[in-house]
Amino acid sequence: MFQQLVTIVPWNFVAAICNLLIQMWLIKKFLFKPVQKVLAQRQQLADAQIADAEAARTDAEAMRADYEQRLAAAKEEAAALVQNATRTAQLRSEEILRQAQADAVEIKNKADADIAQQRKKAINEVKDEIGGIAMDIASKVVEREIDQQAHQDLIDEFIRNVGDAS
Amino acid sequence: MDVSINGAPIYTIPIGGGIPISATIVSSWIVMILITGLCIWLTRDLKVTGISKRQAAAEFLVNTATNFVRGNMGVKFDFFIPFVAALFATSLVSNLISLVGIWSPTADLSTEAAWAVMVFFLITRAKIRSGGLGGYLKGFTEPIFVLTPFNILSEIATPISMACRHFGNILSGTVISALLYAALALASHALLGWLPGALGEVLGAIPILSVGIPAIAGLYFDWFSGFMQAFIFCMLTTLYIANAAGEE
Repeated sequence: MFQQLVTIVPWNFVAAICNLLIQMWLIKKFLFKPVQKVLAQRQQLADAQIADAEAARTDAEAMRADYEQRLAAAKEEAAALVQNATRTAQLRSEEILRQAQADAVEIKNKADADIAQQRKKAINEVKDEIGGIAMDIASKVVEREIDQQAHQDLIDEFIRNVGDAS
Repeated sequence: MDVSINGAPIYTIPIGGGIPISATIVSSWIVMILITGLCIWLTRDLKVTGISKRQAAAEFLVNTATNFVRGNMGVKFDFFIPFVAALFATSLVSNLISLVGIWSPTADLSTEAAWAVMVFFLITRAKIRSGGLGGYLKGFTEPIFVLTPFNILSEIATPISMACRHFGNILSGTVISALLYAALALASHALLGWLPGALGEVLGAIPILSVGIPAIAGLYFDWFSGFMQAFIFCMLTTLYIANAAGEE
């Protein structure tokens, strides 16, 4: 038994409507709901990962800025230290030089004074010696006692003359 | 040789006095079981990461349906996605199920008529929603009152044309393959039936030309047409409803 080729059978019509509605519900329940749930979860995961990456990037950026700031500060500090040390060394070297010059001048002055004193002393010694010798010579030559005072005057005059001549 | 093309066979369930049941209904149940089984199989142990090919296919189907509806109707009509998906899947599987020798539910005009009436109902609902009942009724008198009968006619023509387009394509495929088989059987008989005696009768009765050639015709009438009609029906459904709701 067959239906007619082109006809609308009421029961088939109603069954088709019901079947399509049921099919819609089945597809929704068994395909769309689970897949959409998984897709939403994946979207959430991706969003979370992007957010994490963003946060990590921000952190890294902050760390980099901090590091650069510190590096700059350290460089500045080092430069200041070097400059300071250079200045100190310069000052110190100048001071040492000045000190050395002062010392040298002092030593030279002292040496000059010593020399002068020694010379004076030597001259005096030589004067006394020459005086004694001259007295001895004179007494031996004259062979007589003369007035002590007259002698002394004579000698002094002689020595003065000698000193002037030398 | 007789070539007979019939409508859906009517089976009889042997309960009581015997309940007649159309092959269309039986086949549509098989189609529903197939689709639902496929859905359940595809969505088994879904994972968020490291997905299987099966899950990729499921996600592809869902995304394709979603994009199809959104592309044709806009994002406001997301609740139509399961309806359009069910319509497409049922239509496609119904069209293709004839390939395995089961009566195709879409070869019965009742099925397409039912779908088209549902779509007509949705179109009308969308029109009333967007313009109100007054706006909907007033739409029939535009642009001038005289055109009212024609407007009503064109309104009714929409579901009829949708149903008949789909049914006609499937029916023509059925008719042409029946004719083709008959013609090829005759041709086979003519090719080998001239052989003398019993040899000619036996060989002539075997439709050897029916091997291969109908498959090529089936490629168009079953596969391509089956796919195209399902697609066209869904395309028209979404476009008509979106148009009725004033969304382009």
